[in-house]
Amino acid sequence: MDDRRERFEAQVMPHLDAAHRFARWLSRSSGDAEDVVQEAFLRAFRGFDSLRGSDVKAWLLTIVRNCHATALRQQQRRAAVPLPEEHDEQFGSATIAAATPDPESASIGQDQQRTLDRLIAALPEEHREVLLLREMEDMSYREIAAVTQVPIGTVMSRLARARAALRVRWLQEAQGEPRAVR
Amino acid sequence: MQCAESVRVQAYFDGEVDAVSAVDIERHTGHCPECRTLLEDLLRTRARIRRDLDYGHAPPRLRERIARMLDQESAAGAPRAVPRVQPAWRAPLFWLGALGGIGAALAASLLFFVLSPVLSDPLLDTLVAAHVRSLMPAHLTDVVSTDQHTVKPWFAGHADVSPVVADFAPRGYRLVGGRADYFEHQRAAVVVYEHGAHVINVFTWVAGPRTFPDLTTRSGYHVAFWKVGNLQYCAVSDAGWEELLGLVRLLRDLGARDALQ
Repeated sequence: MDDRRERFEAQVMPHLDAAHRFARWLSRSSGDAEDVVQEAFLRAFRGFDSLRGSDVKAWLLTIVRNCHATALRQQQRRAAVPLPEEHDEQFGSATIAAATPDPESASIGQDQQRTLDRLIAALPEEHREVLLLREMEDMSYREIAAVTQVPIGTVMSRLARARAALRVRWLQEAQGEPRAVR
Repeated sequence: MQCAESVRVQAYFDGEVDAVSAVDIERHTGHCPECRTLLEDLLRTRARIRRDLDYGHAPPRLRERIARMLDQESAAGAPRAVPRVQPAWRAPLFWLGALGGIGAALAASLLFFVLSPVLSDPLLDTLVAAHVRSLMPAHLTDVVSTDQHTVKPWFAGHADVSPVVADFAPRGYRLVGGRADYFEHQRAAVVVYEHGAHVINVFTWVAGPRTFPDLTTRSGYHVAFWKVGNLQYCAVSDAGWEELLGLVRLLRDLGARDALQ
C-alpha cells in the first residue's frame, strides 16, 4: 500500500460511520446513502492532497453533502423522464434483514427510536442537518458552518429552531399518543 | 417573548463560549426562569437524541466497496469514472437499533432525569479529575485483572459498594481492573474498561438524594450517569458518545438483570 493510501486509511476511513450516518439522513434511503458515501470517498481520495489542517471529519462531511446534492439533482432529472425503474424489492428486504438486531431487543427502546427518527425526519432539511451534526456528530458551530456552508449565526439560529421544533413535536406526540411516552 | 439571552444560553450549552461569558451566563440563568427552562429543555433534547438515535455502523459491504475502489484508484493513479450503482431509492428508511438489549425498565427510566442543579456540581469536577488522574502512569488500577471474579471480590475489602463487573471484550469493552476512590463520604468502587485506545472509568457509589444529568460533558470528557437500585453509576471517558453509551447500555442491562435475581 502506498504512503498516500495509508495516510488516507488512517485519517479518513475512521469517519466512514459518520459519513454513512450523515448520508443516510440526507438521502433518507440506505441504498442511496451508500452510493453517496462511495462517491464522496472517491472525491475525498482524489482531493486528499488538498486537505490542510486536521479537521478531516468536517472536510469529509462537506464532500458527502456535496455528493448528496449532486445525486439529488441527477435523480430529479431522471424523475422528470420516468423510466420503468426496476426497483429491487429483494435488495430492500436484504437490507432490513442485515440491520435487524437480536429479536429480544425489539423493545420499547426501538419504539422510542422510531418515534424520534420520525420527529427528526419531519424537520426541514436545513434544520435537521444542523441538529444532527451538532448532537450526533458533536461538531462545533465552526465545523457545522463549514459543512453546511452558511455563517455561524445561521447555524445558531437553525439549531435553535430545530431544537425548539423537535421539543414541540415531541410534546404533541406525548399528548396525542400516550402510548408512545409510556 | 423570548429572552434576549437565549442565543447565548444555547451557545453556553454547546460549549461555545469562553470561561468569562460562561460565568456571566450562569449568573443570568440563575435568575431568569425562562433561560433556566431553556437550558433544561436543551439537555433533555440532547439526552434523548443521543440515547435513542441509532448511531449504527456503515455496512461491511460499503467498506468493501470503498476498499475496492481505493485499490483501483491507487493502481490506476489517474482519475477515472466510478461505476454508479442504480440507487435503490425505494428501499425504506428505517433506523433499527443494533445497539439493542434495552429492557422495558430501562426504557421507562430513561424518561426521567433531573437537570439544572447539577450543571456546576463540584462532584462532576471530582469525577473528571479522578478520571484524568487515573490516566497518569501507575494510577489506573489497584487490582489488574480481566476476570470479573477477581475484580468483584476485591471490592469487598476496598469499597463500600459492590458494582456490576463483567468483561465485555467480545463487544469491544475490555475489563482492565478495579480501583477504590473516595468521594461522597464513602469508598467508591471504580471499574476500568478499555475500548480501543480509550480508557473508560466507571464509578459506583451508594446513591444519595442528589440527582445528576444523564449525560454531560466536562472539560471535554463525556460523562454519563445512571442508577441501578440504590447504586449510582457514572462513566467518564474521552471516548465518543456512542462508544461510551455502548458500555453504559451493557452495564445498565447487566445491573438490571442482577437486580432481578
